[in-house]
Amino acid sequence: MQQALPIEDNGLKETAHPLAGTSMSGSDIIVQVLAQEGTDVIFGYSGGAILPTYDAVFRFNAETNESMPLIVPANEQGACFMASGFARASGKVGVVMVTSGPGATNTVTPVRDCMADSIPIVVISGQVPTPSIGSDGFQEAPIANIMGAVAKHIFLVTDAEKLEATLRTAFEIARTGRPGPVVVDIPKDVQNWEGVFQGRGQLLIRGYRERIQEIAEKVLSDEDCKSFFDAFEQSERPMIYAGGGVIKANAYAEVRAFADEFKIPVVTTLMGIGACDTMQPRSLHMLGMHGTAYANYAVDDCDFLIALGARFDDRVAAVPANFAPQAKFIAHFDIDPSEIHKVKTVDWHYIGLLPQALNKLLDFGVKQRKFSKDYTPWHEHIAELKSTYAMNYDKESSQIQPYAVIEEINKITKGRAVISTGVGQHQMWAAQYFDFKLPRLWLTSGSMGTMGFGLPAAIGAQFAKPNLVVVDIDGDASIRMNLGELETVTTYKLPIKVVVLNNLGDGMIKQWQKLFFKGRLSASDKSLHKKDFIKAAEADGYEYAVRLEDKEQITKVVKEFMAFDGPAFLEVMIDPDAGVYPMVGPGMSYEQMITGDYIPTRNANEIDTQTEVDSSEMF
Amino acid sequence: MRHIISILLENEAGALSRVSGLFSARGYNIESLTVAPTDDPTVSRITVVTGGSEDVIEQIKNQLNKLVDVVKVLDLTADVHVEREILLLKLRDTDATQAVLDILTNEYAGIVVDHSNSTIVVEITGTYEKIDRAIQAVPNEVIHELVRSGALGITAGKTVLKLESM
Repeated sequence: MQQALPIEDNGLKETAHPLAGTSMSGSDIIVQVLAQEGTDVIFGYSGGAILPTYDAVFRFNAETNESMPLIVPANEQGACFMASGFARASGKVGVVMVTSGPGATNTVTPVRDCMADSIPIVVISGQVPTPSIGSDGFQEAPIANIMGAVAKHIFLVTDAEKLEATLRTAFEIARTGRPGPVVVDIPKDVQNWEGVFQGRGQLLIRGYRERIQEIAEKVLSDEDCKSFFDAFEQSERPMIYAGGGVIKANAYAEVRAFADEFKIPVVTTLMGIGACDTMQPRSLHMLGMHGTAYANYAVDDCDFLIALGARFDDRVAAVPANFAPQAKFIAHFDIDPSEIHKVKTVDWHYIGLLPQALNKLLDFGVKQRKFSKDYTPWHEHIAELKSTYAMNYDKESSQIQPYAVIEEINKITKGRAVISTGVGQHQMWAAQYFDFKLPRLWLTSGSMGTMGFGLPAAIGAQFAKPNLVVVDIDGDASIRMNLGELETVTTYKLPIKVVVLNNLGDGMIKQWQKLFFKGRLSASDKSLHKKDFIKAAEADGYEYAVRLEDKEQITKVVKEFMAFDGPAFLEVMIDPDAGVYPMVGPGMSYEQMITGDYIPTRNANEIDTQTEVDSSEMF
Repeated sequence: MRHIISILLENEAGALSRVSGLFSARGYNIESLTVAPTDDPTVSRITVVTGGSEDVIEQIKNQLNKLVDVVKVLDLTADVHVEREILLLKLRDTDATQAVLDILTNEYAGIVVDHSNSTIVVEITGTYEKIDRAIQAVPNEVIHELVRSGALGITAGKTVLKLESM
């Protein structure tokens, strides 16, 4: 086990915890630390190896007027995605509590999902008693080994004396630096152990804490500011490329101030949506594989690129050498040193906290440099790209187009609702057609691309933001993955609006099969499946459960659906052939982007998509 | 290029598997990996020999530094350093063996550490190149078994990899 940090040296000037010095069980210590860390809600499912701690939560809630409610999912994966949705919407650490074995292994997917999207959660899993570890006991699984490969960190608490410090350290690791999931595996005998609650103290984690502190204390130097502006001055067509790091760093206000001061257009990644107001003229919405055509063309045209908390992921820079090919200078801000030069070699970089760095840079530019440049021609070019290559779809079709449904909901939510999604075509349509005025409203499984994310994430978000409208835009295949959580919505009387855009199968898979596999729909068509989603929703207690099949009814039905007071379910039978465009195919540059039949292209040579692409490139 | 990377690691269950897991998960090559306690009981020290372009080595160091258990990382290759590996070579005791033993003891400073009925165990210490050459100097039919420790490394001069130097 880790060394405990000597309490007198922890540098915290906190007042003593009222229960400090009290003798209590390990389980009670767990609950006290959760409360101390500001836990509002626990998402979890009980089981043998976590029973003592569930009892401690029950007793704590009985004494504190239910101050830390336990939200019970249908499956532990749901609980963990709820915590993820909670963390994404609130910026706080999401808390999960599950039992050993299957309880813990069911959280592997969301833990990896949180790691890939840098989401802070703490998962507390019960474990068989310490003497039984390694004996193939009932509901035993090697969680430390399994999670070690996917989480930001995992603690197996074998020394009960360090339980308290370990839990507090888990929260610290989850929220500091590049945030991520931390798993604390706690054997049942450690939960039942009786000891003295200290009320404070963390583990040493010397290397980690030192590295985090070093980054947190860094200041962007005048020389760095100077070299940045030296390059910026040469630029005629600057562009900000904002990623999920902007949201994690709570740096959206600084990003907007910086972009506004120097009049720089902004593209965001899937994870960066909300970094800038999508309704603002200089906002170009999302870039990348399914980014807007105007965003991608603008990135092709820019000569100075400022990457903020973005990592040149393969969905953005499929061919790194061809990404932003005219950019003479790329500046990269990140908190994670391993992201610098990982995919794309940059000309200038800064590792540190983003808000502070942007404030310094802005201050330097305005006061010392007195930097001011007229980018009118570039802005005119951007405006022209936005009007010429605007998002568009088949408006004449007799079938319901998914884009139209989202546009209709967007007219009501106006960029102020929480939108969560599953993974696939509906996810990309939601990313493309919804507006967002603020960050932490757009919840999606970006890097892992986990189908089934949308519904539980919406539940978690509703607990984080009880006063906001929460809409889950889901697909018929994605929602099936965690369909059990439909009932969780009604159990807790959450006024979530669940939309299933039903195209009778795995739409994105079908799209790729049509484009790259000669239309052989291997295992992706569900048109003969028997599921009646309306009956399913009704069975789970939805008083509003409606199937929309008539194009003429979109406006009316969406309006009544969104206005319904309470949980509501809307299934929309959409055009099963509706595609996601634009699309930068695998191995393609933005120049070769397929814009589809309704958005013009700058590329005179149509791409031959019937040629089977090398399958090694296909992902 | 071949790099020797030294890692100070919290002496904790699972820490080693996270380091080795990082190498396998990210497709980095491990030529050898040794781990043992240090003079500070709370930390152990790993010496890993790996290969790759400068970009890959930079990534390896950065990714190692993201592991919570990793206290410190030092790429010895970047500095003047000493590298040593131990070879234990079990030879068949045949007519040809004496000539081989002469070469190993004279040219490779080999030490006979066991002489049983029909086998002889020789210990040789040196850089991996020296160990490679020593093995090549022994005809296949004479080698019964061999085991290499993997490389250990330490910087020459004042630079140290210790907690106090942090």
